[in-house]
Amino acid sequence: MKLLRNTFLYALLVLAGCMIFATAQSKQKSGLSLPEKVQNLVEMNMKKPVLRLNGQKFREYVKNAPRNYSMIVMLTAMAPQRQCQICRHALEEFTIAANSYRFSPIYSNKLFFAMVDFDDGSDVFQLLRLNTAPVFMHFPAKGKPKAADTMDIHRVGFAADAISKFVAERTDIQIRIFRPPNYSGTVAMITLVALVGSFLYIRRNNLEFLYNKNLWGAIAVFFCFAMISGQMWNHIRGPPLVHKTQNGGVAYIHGSSQGQLVVETYIIMFLNAMIVLGMILLIESGTLKGHNKNRIMAMAGLVLLTVFFSFLLSVFRSKAQGYPYSFLFK
Amino acid sequence: MNRGPKILSNKVAGYSSLITFAILLIAWIAGFSSRLFAVIRFESIIHEFDPWFNYRATAYMVQHGWYKFLNWFDERAWYPLGRIVGGTVYPGLMITSGGIHYLLHFLNIPVHIRDICVFLAPVFSGLTAISTYLLTKELWSPGAGLFAASFIAIVPGYISRSVAGSYDNEGIAIFALQFTYFLWVRSVKTGSVFWSAGAAISYFYMVSAWGGYVFIINLIPLHVFVLLIMGRYSPRLLTSYSTFYILGLLFSMQIPFVGFQPIRTSEHMAALGVFVLLMAVATLRHLQTVLSRHEFRKLFVVGGLVAAAFVFVAVVALTMMGVIAPWSGRFYSLWDTGYAKIHIPIIASVSEHQPTTWFSFFFDLHILVCAFPVGVWYCIKQINDERVFVVLYAISAVYFAGVMVRLMLTLTPVVCMLAGVAFSGLLDVFLQEDTSKKFGNSAYSVTETDENEDPTEKKTLYDKAGKLKHRTKHENNHENGISSNLKSVVILAILMILMMFAVHCTWVTSNAYSSPSIVLAFHNSQDGSRNILDDFREAYYWLSQNTADDARIMSWWDYGYQIAGMANRTTLVDNNTWNNSHIALVGKAMSSSEEKSYEIMTSLDVDYVLVIFGGVIGYSGDDINKFLWMVRIAEGEHPKDIKESDFFTDRGEFRVDAEGSPSLLNCLMYKLSYYRFGELKLDYRGPSGYDRTRNAVIGNKDFDLTYLEEAYTTEHWLVRIYRVKKPYEFNRPALKANERLIPPSNFISRKNSKRRKGYIRNRPSVIKGKRTLK
Repeated sequence: MKLLRNTFLYALLVLAGCMIFATAQSKQKSGLSLPEKVQNLVEMNMKKPVLRLNGQKFREYVKNAPRNYSMIVMLTAMAPQRQCQICRHALEEFTIAANSYRFSPIYSNKLFFAMVDFDDGSDVFQLLRLNTAPVFMHFPAKGKPKAADTMDIHRVGFAADAISKFVAERTDIQIRIFRPPNYSGTVAMITLVALVGSFLYIRRNNLEFLYNKNLWGAIAVFFCFAMISGQMWNHIRGPPLVHKTQNGGVAYIHGSSQGQLVVETYIIMFLNAMIVLGMILLIESGTLKGHNKNRIMAMAGLVLLTVFFSFLLSVFRSKAQGYPYSFLFK
Repeated sequence: MNRGPKILSNKVAGYSSLITFAILLIAWIAGFSSRLFAVIRFESIIHEFDPWFNYRATAYMVQHGWYKFLNWFDERAWYPLGRIVGGTVYPGLMITSGGIHYLLHFLNIPVHIRDICVFLAPVFSGLTAISTYLLTKELWSPGAGLFAASFIAIVPGYISRSVAGSYDNEGIAIFALQFTYFLWVRSVKTGSVFWSAGAAISYFYMVSAWGGYVFIINLIPLHVFVLLIMGRYSPRLLTSYSTFYILGLLFSMQIPFVGFQPIRTSEHMAALGVFVLLMAVATLRHLQTVLSRHEFRKLFVVGGLVAAAFVFVAVVALTMMGVIAPWSGRFYSLWDTGYAKIHIPIIASVSEHQPTTWFSFFFDLHILVCAFPVGVWYCIKQINDERVFVVLYAISAVYFAGVMVRLMLTLTPVVCMLAGVAFSGLLDVFLQEDTSKKFGNSAYSVTETDENEDPTEKKTLYDKAGKLKHRTKHENNHENGISSNLKSVVILAILMILMMFAVHCTWVTSNAYSSPSIVLAFHNSQDGSRNILDDFREAYYWLSQNTADDARIMSWWDYGYQIAGMANRTTLVDNNTWNNSHIALVGKAMSSSEEKSYEIMTSLDVDYVLVIFGGVIGYSGDDINKFLWMVRIAEGEHPKDIKESDFFTDRGEFRVDAEGSPSLLNCLMYKLSYYRFGELKLDYRGPSGYDRTRNAVIGNKDFDLTYLEEAYTTEHWLVRIYRVKKPYEFNRPALKANERLIPPSNFISRKNSKRRKGYIRNRPSVIKGKRTLK
């Protein structure tokens, strides 16, 4: 443990030393020539796929004129006190894109990936008049970045595929995204299988519960509820939980028949479940013996069925324009 | 019939078969007539897009014969590639209607093939209802079967694909699906080769009719597999599955379009795997009876390991060698729900491939969607071999329906069956007294399986007379304690709900699923009259009369089948979206500037371009609204030339007004849609060039076309046809005045594009209506 920490510290020291050396060197001769710049960048890129720039280096390599390479720069704020939650995800995706480029056969000295942290170079943010993070910008080999050189993360997101598409649009370099295989899903699966397996092994003398029809029935019925209430739509489209209406209220039901809100699907699931419960109660009331219990079950079932069905119908009616029918109440 | 009183049972059997027959007949008639809205409102016409191709193929087959049809190479589609039709269609539909046509003409009944095509799906809905009845009867009880048959006859989820005029594969495929399942369940129950061979033949019909046969060939093996896991192996299962699989495999490979797929693609591998597994289980069962316990265990372990390793290596090796093809994209998108959106825009662009909201479930199934989990619950509670099947059917179908709206169609039959189970269960409880007095429990009885019943007693389960005696005795001893008032209230409520279901079905059918979509109707809000827009047929008829027979017409792929079917002209792309790059080329032509797209159009020999424009009447399904998909599909193939982001404004909006992006305002599709539209005033008060579909004044009003000229625009501007100019027409070198053979006259016409009226020289001008003030 101690050894490890020592090595870590040593490594940090060396790194810091390197950086100081590098900055000192670049300070010495301000205004590097183009081959030198490319040389330096390639060397830096050998160590890291994403170059970390500070304000001074940014001006040197990105801003100043003699360039024959494009730069994709991510401007971000990684420090914990900046409280930028998505910056971390954005950096992960950006690194994936940069790695895919770095280790692909099309790698050349025409395109570099770099990032500027707000705490390293706040002057860069001032220079570019930015007050948000993260921002992905493309600095073309010639000329200044235009409006389209800033990636619109609100529209396309910042997934690695979107970044590669953006890069391809701006620089005609097609990066095929290669994600490091995500083992977390596999690990979770194996853990789950192991858990279930050990559970079954522990209870190997008493596997009766596997023959429990109520359990299986409940699972199947619940699956049906999840599907008919449109959870798959939610999964694919990712709608918001609720809507804010014009006058400040909260809408739980999407107004049109084309969309739905997450809360809405839960409401529908509940209504469906109640209707099903009502029908099951009604059917069961015929099979049991004993007077009072049957009557109560039948009445409860009837109430559940009719009330919740008419409720469901009125929700449906509110979404379908011009639907004429309703039951019990509107 | 062993113990019950004979006279009563005869009477009961007579009544029950009469009721069954009557209800099925009524279901057939009701199902048929509720599908006729479109025919009554418009005329007997083929609907939409795909049916036009099916109709054209059927007409070709009837005209030229079956073998000519199989060898048909259609040079009028996918110009210049052409399409081998015989080998790329499911011929079941054409054979069915061709067969009916042949039979009727054999009986000297002269019916036009178009009328057979229009009414085929409604007629088959009755057959679907009957096969649903048979299947539900096998699974549960005749009463539930009658409910299911009545439900499926009118349920919108099925009507949506089988109204009169929607002449498509699904119309007959659902019948084949249900009938195959019925025969399969029957064969599992009886273990007879006869029924399973019947199932294989019915499966053959299904394969010939619809690509959805993959659902059958995965569901039946799944059923067998789950039965094996549950320890419900029986020799009956072995007989029925091995017969079905072998025969079904051989039959399905007879369809030219399917060919060797059943032994080469991953979709079909599950069936093979289960077949091998079933054989292994059967062998082990047999060895168990021959070998001693110790030997058997040794054999089991060693043999199992060797077999597993062998199968694994074989599958991996075959996949690596490319003998087994990987999953096809359309199918893959069912499992990985985000797949299609990223990789295959042409699949994602079809609205049928979108996921399903709860609204669509309720819209298509109404109360049934709430009731079918009850059926699932009772099927699991009282499980047996065939109910395992229906539960698996329900769960897989509900999953697929959730992923894709289109697959609501496969969910609908099982929902009808299970809702039938639920409602028949309800009525069985609450109609008990009345029924036992009048008919006994003939038609409306739920046969309740006791949970500890062993298989030998199951035979008597379906015996009505034996059951009857049991039931009446049971009732005499125990009243179940619900007063008759409560009973009638419950029955009233159930009947109300069922009535609302029927009303809902009719409303939905009439309003949502009965528009032919090539003839549009709208209600005039002022005087309430109904106007009919027949622009599509007007345009296609114009094409067929005014263009050369071999003219090539470029349009977006949606209209390919209609142009081929109605105008009988050559198209570049059509609804059979087999060649993505060709479609992308058309998309590129539509989304490039006029000059660039002219190059593409000349390289493709295009004579006419047809666009759909809804801005005048507010028709939302026009080409500008579909335009982004054209861009996306084009970008997939030509990422350097077409970029989706160019067509958005800086703020990421898709706008056609003055703020729209310049590449949108100058692309070919925009120009063709809005040519001369800037001069048009729809309203006296409104501005000119106001697009009613997108509610905006168009951004690029004043432009001329260089390389194309307007050939025809229909009455409501819905279809616009442009002629592509030949090279000599627009860059003909001008002759100087002194080189001309015919000397130029001095007359200069004052007519120009803006001023078309003639005029009279020195005409006295009269100022009307001016009154001098006194």
